[in-house]
Amino acid sequence: MRMALIIALVMLASILPASVMLMQPPSDTQRATSEEQPLPKIAPAPGFRLTSQDGAQISLANLRGKVVAVTFIFTRCSDTCPVLTSMMSLVQDRLGPDFGSKIVFASITVDPEHDTPEMLKLYAQMYGADVAGWSFLTGPPPIVQDLTRRYGVFASQTANGGIDHSFLTSIVDRRGILRVQYLGVRFDPEEFRRDLLSLLRER
Amino acid sequence: MTQMAQSRRRFLAALTAAGGAGLFGATSSIGQEAPPETATVRLSKIAGTCIAPQYLAEEFLRLEGFADVQYVMSDAGIGQSRALARGEVDFSLNFAAPLVIPIDAGEAISIIAGVHSGCFELFGNERIRSIADLKGSTVGVQGLGGSPHVFLAAMAANVGLDPVKDINWVTSPSVAPKELFAQGKIDAFLGFPPEPQELRARKIGRVIVNSSIDRPWSRYFCCMLAGNKDFIRKHPVATKRVLRAILRATNLCASEPTRVAQRMVDGGFTPQYDYALQALKEISYAKWREFDPEDTIRFYALRLREVGMIKSSPNKIIADAADWRFFNELKRELKG
Repeated sequence: MRMALIIALVMLASILPASVMLMQPPSDTQRATSEEQPLPKIAPAPGFRLTSQDGAQISLANLRGKVVAVTFIFTRCSDTCPVLTSMMSLVQDRLGPDFGSKIVFASITVDPEHDTPEMLKLYAQMYGADVAGWSFLTGPPPIVQDLTRRYGVFASQTANGGIDHSFLTSIVDRRGILRVQYLGVRFDPEEFRRDLLSLLRER
Repeated sequence: MTQMAQSRRRFLAALTAAGGAGLFGATSSIGQEAPPETATVRLSKIAGTCIAPQYLAEEFLRLEGFADVQYVMSDAGIGQSRALARGEVDFSLNFAAPLVIPIDAGEAISIIAGVHSGCFELFGNERIRSIADLKGSTVGVQGLGGSPHVFLAAMAANVGLDPVKDINWVTSPSVAPKELFAQGKIDAFLGFPPEPQELRARKIGRVIVNSSIDRPWSRYFCCMLAGNKDFIRKHPVATKRVLRAILRATNLCASEPTRVAQRMVDGGFTPQYDYALQALKEISYAKWREFDPEDTIRFYALRLREVGMIKSSPNKIIADAADWRFFNELKRELKG
């Protein structure tokens, strides 16, 4: 009960500023920057084939043709993961019909031993995720650990079974190229949304 | 969704264990980028805590493919720069001014990024109310040519003082200027973290300039990332990966100062958790995108040239030693 209250407060605290940012129309400068500066092409994104909250096999290769936001979370995380997932939920809503059809999210657990598809399904429901475009993924621990590392995310199990990890949200373009990575959990959701949309305009 | 087991100590223990067990070996890579040309990187370790991102970067460096991350004890300031030039360390965060002086002397150093502003604070006794009041006063520095001396000389020049003639420099290799100041034996001194935090806690002296707040100092980088020129030439992929690790650590300093402060204590980089935490909260770690690193070099090169500490023009210093390729790429690749 107490934990639920804490999570609710964290979510509220995270949603308010993000909502304000998302409600503000982008300035001319922001729009110009987004339009004039294409995102860099960093490298081919690390591929994956993992199990979704519904038990389906989801691979990055199968998502080719869509812009993919890849992030790493775990369901027991009570401090920072809720901030990130809440913000992505807001961006999901703001993307409108492009979400699911052209832009998808993949939240990969860094705690695969605990986060079964069932746990991930509950987590998705808690954050209002539209699973038509947002997959919550798990898999064999060695595979998940290797994938986490290849995306540049630190994750480690603590002595009492918790998980500590760093936050890095990657955007992969329709050709599977890693284009930008967002540090932490308090980045500008409007900039994140613009970056996703900018990749849809690329030929 | 009920239990969460993230305590600071456990996080740090796990972090250390992960590094020690080699969980993140040399095969790591971001995306499918080329691996670094070398698995070893050496960074300097000094008494100051403002270069926290450098201390915190170890795990991120392992993720970037460096299996062997070494911290080499160095003298602060010019000593760090010379260790870089001699190839004793590959990279170091250092205050801009002590980087410019050896570059002027032709040392093989490249400055590749600005990382944060606002490290130092000028403390004075009741007679000192402004930088101009340093005229005729006694100012303590550990040694001439060190970061505090160079920085104070630049500050004095900025308000029209001649730092050689107008300031009585008191050097004492055995007693820290902070202690001389606390004992009332000098009028002023420039403190770098954790010294300002400690003096404020002890209610000693007054802050004349706080570089994280007061202009023009707050508008420029304090610490910049510099590397051995030969290392950078031979290892461009490794250089970009080192900078990415440092920038990611810098972001963590801004977003999770309590965790970082504890990591610094546990890693033996500082004994004082409270002072480290305070410094982490005060220093502008979140602003590495906002300032132009070239402006910083130009600003300090001008000040140092005014007081005769360097001969080269700012443009020559920039032409000889500034290399923003990696920083410019990463500013576009890493957001947040």
